[in-house]
Amino acid sequence: MFFHNFKYTLKTLFKSKALIFWTFAFPLILGTFFSMAFSNIEESEKLDIISIAIVNNEDFQENVAFVEAFKTLSKEGEEQLFATQYVTEEEAASLLNKKEISGYLLLEKTPKIVVNTSGIYETILKEVVEEIEENSKVISSIASYETAKHVTEQATNEEIQNIRNTIIEKVLKIQQINKTNMQDISNANLSYTMIEFYTLIAMTCLYGGILGMVAVNQNMPNMSSNGKRISISPLSKGKLILSSVLASYIVQLIGLLLLFLYTLFVLKVDYGNQFSFIVLLSLVGSFAGLSLGIFIASILKASENTKTGIMISVTMLGCFLSGMMGITMKYIIDKNIPLLNKLNPANMITDGFYSLYYYSTHERFYFNIISLLVFSFILIFFSTLSLRRQKYDSI
Amino acid sequence: MIVFKTFLKVLNKCKAPIILYTIILVFFAGFNTKTSEQGNEFTASKPDIVIVCEDKVEGITKNLVEYLSKNSNIKEIENNEEKRNDALFYRDVNYIVYIPKNFRSDFLEHQNPQIAIKSTGDYQASLANMLLERYLNVANTYLEFDFTEEEMIDKLQETLETKVSVEMTSKLDTDSLYKVSTYYNFTNYCILAGSIYVICLILSSFKNEKVLKRTIISSLNYQKYNRILLASNSLFAFVLWFFYILLSFVLFGSVMWSLHGAFYILNSFVFSLFALTLAFFLGNIIKNKNALNGIINVIALGSSFLCGAFVPMEWLPNTVLNLAHILPSYYFIKSNELIKTIEVFDFASLKSIYLNMIIIVIFAIGFMILSSIFTSKKRKLA
Repeated sequence: MFFHNFKYTLKTLFKSKALIFWTFAFPLILGTFFSMAFSNIEESEKLDIISIAIVNNEDFQENVAFVEAFKTLSKEGEEQLFATQYVTEEEAASLLNKKEISGYLLLEKTPKIVVNTSGIYETILKEVVEEIEENSKVISSIASYETAKHVTEQATNEEIQNIRNTIIEKVLKIQQINKTNMQDISNANLSYTMIEFYTLIAMTCLYGGILGMVAVNQNMPNMSSNGKRISISPLSKGKLILSSVLASYIVQLIGLLLLFLYTLFVLKVDYGNQFSFIVLLSLVGSFAGLSLGIFIASILKASENTKTGIMISVTMLGCFLSGMMGITMKYIIDKNIPLLNKLNPANMITDGFYSLYYYSTHERFYFNIISLLVFSFILIFFSTLSLRRQKYDSI
Repeated sequence: MIVFKTFLKVLNKCKAPIILYTIILVFFAGFNTKTSEQGNEFTASKPDIVIVCEDKVEGITKNLVEYLSKNSNIKEIENNEEKRNDALFYRDVNYIVYIPKNFRSDFLEHQNPQIAIKSTGDYQASLANMLLERYLNVANTYLEFDFTEEEMIDKLQETLETKVSVEMTSKLDTDSLYKVSTYYNFTNYCILAGSIYVICLILSSFKNEKVLKRTIISSLNYQKYNRILLASNSLFAFVLWFFYILLSFVLFGSVMWSLHGAFYILNSFVFSLFALTLAFFLGNIIKNKNALNGIINVIALGSSFLCGAFVPMEWLPNTVLNLAHILPSYYFIKSNELIKTIEVFDFASLKSIYLNMIIIVIFAIGFMILSSIFTSKKRKLA
């Protein structure tokens, strides 16, 4: 009997078009949208080569520091920061007006930058010009200080000039050797758009609960005539429910597997390389979705549509809080109302994937797995309480 | 009147999703209002950084911390490496600087202590990196000469205060316009999903077999019935549009009372017309109420993702944008982006906006023709 019910639950679930759309097709469609919209975000946030112009007047040509600095910074290669055009002031203004450049430099004794709006590229141009100015300031400041120290009262002007020149040369040499000792220790896995795909997995796990819900509803006498017939048959209720639930869990896992294969091979999502942990998290995550479905099916006395509505709302709210509609949301909740996300199954799944991707240790991962299991068992406990020994005087 | 009353009854039943879309919209718009106010003065961008200082904050160390604090936004993050890592991952901070123990003494003893950093690798982080390098370069140069620590700090401060003058040509309030644009781009989703959902649901309720049969045998003139139905749906689309316009006035105030605001409103009106005709068409071809939710999500989410309603257009890959040309949402959002940058309202600057509107209207007319072809065919079949 177990297999009979198991087989027919599988058949019914696979034949329900709406169910299969929401649990199989919708995540794939959403994943495709995500990948189309987000594939370029992180690239566009990297520093691009900034288009600028410099007014090529006499003051500029005579200022060796500026000429050399911009020549180096505009040289094609990995270090290139600017794409520089040397033009007249009118041309520069027209280029800026047409938004072909971020800004231009005008050197008339002191440097001046003209930009369209405030922004990051404009700030970088300003930083660079300030740094060049600053270097000449450093030179003159050290030169006067050192000259004053080394020059005796009897020194001739020529001697003073010589001392000054040696010091300037020394400073220039020091400036050329870049001694800054910095080490980048950031994690290589910093792609935050991955969170979107992780919430998608979380959504699929929880949406899968609808399958469990439908399967349990089938056996409930207050839901359909079919349920009434099943309920009066002399069959163990435990076996019936268990076989239905098992069938829906398998359908759910097939949907999840499809999504994994699609995101992995077509959309090239990076889940890290800890295969066994990913499988464990998916199994446990789906189980949490399943128990949520069973819980809603058994506790609530409502029509199937209402139950589905509640299931979808709970899932969507959970996904929203774990960052599906804006990755920052997850961070805001994690930071300010951590308890909310610790109770949110969608976040437990998302955070599990995140910890696998970003952290090298597994503490956070196991914390999420245990939370999911606790969440599932509590719901199943209450569902069992409500499902067993049901009696109806009239129905 | 009876048709209109029924219309209102059905409408009342599907208010929940409309409220939900609106909440998400306000939330989304609210998110983008956190950027600082900006006038006609140039304001330098400041990266968000965290300084983890294991050295005593004295002397040169103190000076470095002060310099970084002045040129960037220091974020308060709990003193816990995991929290800092999370903050970096979710871009709450762009850059973390770790000043090692004994930095001050090692630096002054010419040992060139190593400063560890963590960076998101985006342009804000690059700016933070420039700031830090700039400081260290100057400090290293001064170190080669025998200044005392105090003298060195004085000199450092003096040199690092070098400022060049920056002139800003645009008098546009770019910050506010940016927010308004983001808001209107997002309404692409709300208007599409809201109109399709409500109008399809209403049409399908009226098309319910029993209701339809009752209506047909009633004394109500068929044409009048259709007219009222069409008018009620248009009224709904209009109210929905008007509601989002009002909301934008509430959220952004003064910017909306300008020519820019007027064009945003006009643009969204044209788009609402299109949404109405699309919804009417879908309402006529969709028979199954259960399929409705799926179709709405695919159409509204799809066009919003592909055309830049959620993710700014400039961040979308070119292939996606090329594909988006076949969707009216693309022209709506493109116009919003153009309005943002207009400085002088003349024909030249408005030409492409008008052109985009015309394209949207053509789409609308196309869907109107399609629905009339479809309904006339169906009536013949019946």
